[in-house]
Amino acid sequence: MRTYEVLFILSPQVPEEEATTLSTEFKRIAEGTGAKLTHEEAWGRRRLAYPIQKFNEGNYQLLVFETEAGLSELDRRMKNSDRILRHMIVRTDLDHKRAEKLAKRNPKKERLRPARRSRPAHLPRLLPRLWKRPCPTKRRRLNKGRRPTWQLK
Amino acid sequence: MARRSSSSAASASASSGVEKLEYIDYKDIKTLQQFIPERGKILPRRISGTCALHQRKLQNAIKRARIAAMLPFATD
Repeated sequence: MRTYEVLFILSPQVPEEEATTLSTEFKRIAEGTGAKLTHEEAWGRRRLAYPIQKFNEGNYQLLVFETEAGLSELDRRMKNSDRILRHMIVRTDLDHKRAEKLAKRNPKKERLRPARRSRPAHLPRLLPRLWKRPCPTKRRRLNKGRRPTWQLK
Repeated sequence: MARRSSSSAASASASSGVEKLEYIDYKDIKTLQQFIPERGKILPRRISGTCALHQRKLQNAIKRARIAAMLPFATD
């Protein structure tokens, strides 16, 4: 079974009632080719990020289908419809599956915030830096100008 | 694997992406916008610190959102 998300933008000139009839018609077309509607969202009027056919607004609708056969018929009908400014059909099941697999493979919390290395309980608080010395090069740099203690007068 | 740790704002948003791990949705503009600076370009990996896999998914999502006119191709 494949999952497809069908997003389409209706022209702002299309009145609300016609928008609903159009979307039911598209649903019928898809169901005619063996698709099953699983989810539906009407976002309504939104501003477009850039003008399409000189419109600055659009009526966004989202349909989610599950199907074996694909949605080429719906795609064709949407392309021909003059009420639709733009439509996009995206297959999502593979990506969702992969995301799940990844999530299972690395349970995330640990990676996000690795536990801070803290002072072992048996060491007293007033003895810092014993359990965490600077790396050798840094130590060398820190000690550069210093003479060894046994030479100090 | 997910990303290098460092760089404040971008890494925070990247980590929010990591938490879900990870289906980057083209409809989720709030998340995508964190990777879009002023001009509307996609923030490069060397700045945001996202790993190759997630940058690729992010890139696809942003491009889809652009086609759907939810994000601009370019702004002046």
